[in-house]
Amino acid sequence: MICCKECIDLLYDYIEDLLDNETRKSLEEHFEECPPCIAFLNTYKSTTTICRETLNQIEIPDEVRHTLQSFMKENKDKQEKK
Amino acid sequence: MSFSQQKEDREIEEALVKDFQAGNVDAYDKIAELYQKRIYALSFNLMRNQMDAQDVVQEVLLTLFNKIHTFQGKSAFSSWVYRITLNSSYMKLRSKKKEPKISIDELLPSFNSAGFQQEKIQDWSENTESLLFTNETRGIINKAVDLLPEKEKVVFLLRDVEGLSTEKVSAVLDLTIPAVKSRLHRARLFLRKKLSGYFEEYNSQKGGT
Repeated sequence: MICCKECIDLLYDYIEDLLDNETRKSLEEHFEECPPCIAFLNTYKSTTTICRETLNQIEIPDEVRHTLQSFMKENKDKQEKK
Repeated sequence: MSFSQQKEDREIEEALVKDFQAGNVDAYDKIAELYQKRIYALSFNLMRNQMDAQDVVQEVLLTLFNKIHTFQGKSAFSSWVYRITLNSSYMKLRSKKKEPKISIDELLPSFNSAGFQQEKIQDWSENTESLLFTNETRGIINKAVDLLPEKEKVVFLLRDVEGLSTEKVSAVLDLTIPAVKSRLHRARLFLRKKLSGYFEEYNSQKGGT
């Protein structure tokens, strides 16, 4: 029987499906008897998802895009003059 | 993205890199277009400053232009671009040097002697939807990520935000796979703890579930 500490150490591999059958089974047995660890598992997964969704929203602002465009053009012109 | 789509993208990219190495400047434009958003997002998430992120994109684009002949194709081109982006971002961060020292260990789960969790764990995972796109939530999440120590932050950004594989992150950062996993796990635990306070409070305000 595994304890909460071991359970949390195994979460990463559990989510990635990297555990061997036996370990996965004893982990799932632990979950059945331990609601706090289920809550932990769910919020651990949620954390990754909501952070990804939030940080992925970053777009290049228009003024930066314009600066980059002229930067690229300048750079190209310089090369062509060489 | 499907596997065949990924493979196709990689082939297009490899062809562009070869063309550019052969002197085709249009290929460079396409590479720049392909990568600038990823470079910007990664450096912005690391530094949280628009001007700095813009500087980094310029530096990286310039390095790609000037150093493309040194790229030998031993690793993926994207790994090379990520490495240049990180180096350039770190140079900037060092020059500012204001790292709030926060110990990640204090925020890791704690257990009693029998190995049971010591704190009360609430499951707020079902109730994030309505909060997710508010400015307040975004601010909380950004701040939590900012507080991550650099080592954990970069692994988290590459793997969980950019979506690189564990293997690729290990190649970009020159870390072993177990080291990548352990940093990522610590980052997720840290962030979970940081976000829990916020979402739990929201849950209890709603009357709790």
